[in-house]
Amino acid sequence: MIFQSIRWRLQVWYGLVFLALLSGFGVTAYALLRDVQLRHLDGEFQRRIGPLSNSLRPPPGGPRPFFPFFPNQFTNSPGPPPDGLRPDGFRMGRGARRGDQGDQGERGGRGGRGDDLPDGGSPEERGFPRPDGPGFQFRLPSEQAALFGSESNSFYYVVWGPGGQELARSEAAPRDVPRPASAGAAAGPPEPRMRGVLREMYHATPGGGVVLVGRSIAEELAGLRRLAWKLAVAGGVVLLLGSTGGWWVATRAIRPIEDISATAVKIAAGDLSQRISAADTDNELGRLAAVLNSTFARLEAAFAQQQQFTSDAAHELRTPVTVMLAQTQTALTRERGAAEYRATVEACQRAAQRMRKLMESLLELARLDAGQETLLRMPFDLSKTVGDCVDLVAPLAEARGLKIHCAVPSLPCVGDPERMGRVVTNLLDNAIEYNQESGEVRIAGERQGGTVILSVSNSGPGIAAEDLPRIFERFYRTDKARSGSGGHTGLGLAISKAIVEGHGGSLEAASQPGRGATFTVRLPGEG
Amino acid sequence: MRVLVVEDEPDLLRSLTQALQEEGYAVDGAADGETGLFNAQNYDYDAVVLDVMLPKVDGWEILRRLRKTKKTPVLMLTARDQPKDRVRGLDTGADDYVVKPFDLAELFARLRALIRRSAGRTSNVLAVGDVVIDTGARQISRGGQAVALTAREYALVEFLALHQGRVVTRTTLYEHLFDENESTLSNLLDVHVSNIRKKLGAEFITTRRGHGYCVGGAE
Repeated sequence: MIFQSIRWRLQVWYGLVFLALLSGFGVTAYALLRDVQLRHLDGEFQRRIGPLSNSLRPPPGGPRPFFPFFPNQFTNSPGPPPDGLRPDGFRMGRGARRGDQGDQGERGGRGGRGDDLPDGGSPEERGFPRPDGPGFQFRLPSEQAALFGSESNSFYYVVWGPGGQELARSEAAPRDVPRPASAGAAAGPPEPRMRGVLREMYHATPGGGVVLVGRSIAEELAGLRRLAWKLAVAGGVVLLLGSTGGWWVATRAIRPIEDISATAVKIAAGDLSQRISAADTDNELGRLAAVLNSTFARLEAAFAQQQQFTSDAAHELRTPVTVMLAQTQTALTRERGAAEYRATVEACQRAAQRMRKLMESLLELARLDAGQETLLRMPFDLSKTVGDCVDLVAPLAEARGLKIHCAVPSLPCVGDPERMGRVVTNLLDNAIEYNQESGEVRIAGERQGGTVILSVSNSGPGIAAEDLPRIFERFYRTDKARSGSGGHTGLGLAISKAIVEGHGGSLEAASQPGRGATFTVRLPGEG
Repeated sequence: MRVLVVEDEPDLLRSLTQALQEEGYAVDGAADGETGLFNAQNYDYDAVVLDVMLPKVDGWEILRRLRKTKKTPVLMLTARDQPKDRVRGLDTGADDYVVKPFDLAELFARLRALIRRSAGRTSNVLAVGDVVIDTGARQISRGGQAVALTAREYALVEFLALHQGRVVTRTTLYEHLFDENESTLSNLLDVHVSNIRKKLGAEFITTRRGHGYCVGGAE
């Protein structure tokens, strides 16, 4: 459940990545420090192991003692090597160390020079115990011997002859130092090894002997352990701080999403007026909120329009139902004469006709809206349709003392003649209805390129500027009286527009108040 | 009782007028807002039945302008049944609200209640001495015995009883009992009063010469 939350997931991933980074860093730092310490130790070992090797002399006539792995220590080159390279190929650290090393090298060099002296050179050499090897001699100059102390943590050495017999050992050497098994026949560079807390370095001399230098590094290891703990504690603190910061950041990042979700929930529950409060609109979530808000606004507008339409439709039905109820209830209160009953029935019929007309209009609009109404696509002459419609409305115009001027040339186009007839009739009805006494209605037609243009204008009072953009809205009436004067549903223009647009054309209205109104139909012509 | 009906649907106006007349009301009809407003401002109606959607001047506007000068009870007829529409109507000064389509019986009951309340009465039954007038059933009894009156006679008794204890002038009676289309003969009222006295007793209606008529104890 908790992992369904993005915040928690973010937090967990963040924590894991952070942990991995910190551990990687800590482990690397620890390993590097350990490596540096061991290298430093190994350097110390190497400084000591060279003279030891050279002190182990093969029997006379054997190979000359040499130590190719410490050339620097055995040549008389003054000062540090070029590039600051240590003899083992490692770059030296700080200047102090370099000086130290140089100093040591100087001393080592001296030792080496001493070793290079012919037999029976310096008197101190004779003071060494003679190892009982088969002709092997081990003599360590005293200045070198001084490097091996007697304390438990001082350097020690063990020397083995070619047969594996121990030739010499220093005072601090532990009892049980095994002869390195791998130090075999071939003489190689000195190799380090760990035995518990003992760090040792051994080297097989060319004559088959083995020298080993070692030291207990318990102190260093303890230091490293303390370091590891410190690193772990520091890492833990950093992880905690980082996670807290991460949680804070995640919370802040999630908050707009929570706002969006809360708003969406309210909207889903039906309150379309809700909007997401987007304080900063400049980030991704702000832009998302803006997009959602505009979507919500459009939804709300569409809903409001739909609601208005439904309520208008219901209203249009209420009036005829009210008429029928009032008429029948009045008629039924007592016995009436035949004429009164007849009047009542006629009123009911009118109301029912009105409802039928309204229902047909609503259904037609709904079908046009849904795109279900399939319009015929057959070639027909619009002027002929206009002629039929004029014949149809002529009695109405005559009754109101209006003149109809019809000057329409042949207008071949493709479409649904019956539906277009309804459009023309509707426009003519309106032109007659909203006209003045003894006014006129003009119908004109022309072809412009591939477009057929038909216009119906009248000499009525025109349409007010504020009404003009809205007259194609459903149930919109310029006269606010909704209930039907003249049996109009208030849907005629909306249906006409839908039909014309269904033909790929357009229906527009233009008017100057006091100077009549003109409705213009544009249809794509034939071919 | 004289009532103004403002309604633009001709069939509805006709049947409402007829039904109200048969209920004993004097009814004036107006088919648009302008006429309706003019009538409402210039006559003392006992009630106005007002459609909201009207040509020229709509119902809200009529109500707003009427309330500047008159306290006539107004019952709104509307096809809008949203609560906000009702609230708006009542807040603008309408006294009651009927949503189309309605039952005539309910409309009449509401109209009676409206007129009763505006006269300061709370009950359908009015009593003057031993004469009891049930305005709901439109019946009058005297000493427990039902008395048959014509519609016009009943209307006269009801109007006087609603205003009992007060002197009602002849002009007021003419205004509230006859609609604008009736050619009112000056002695028509005297004929009705004389007939009522025959049925309910001579002392039921007192004549205050030069002032008008009165039922019940006059102060």
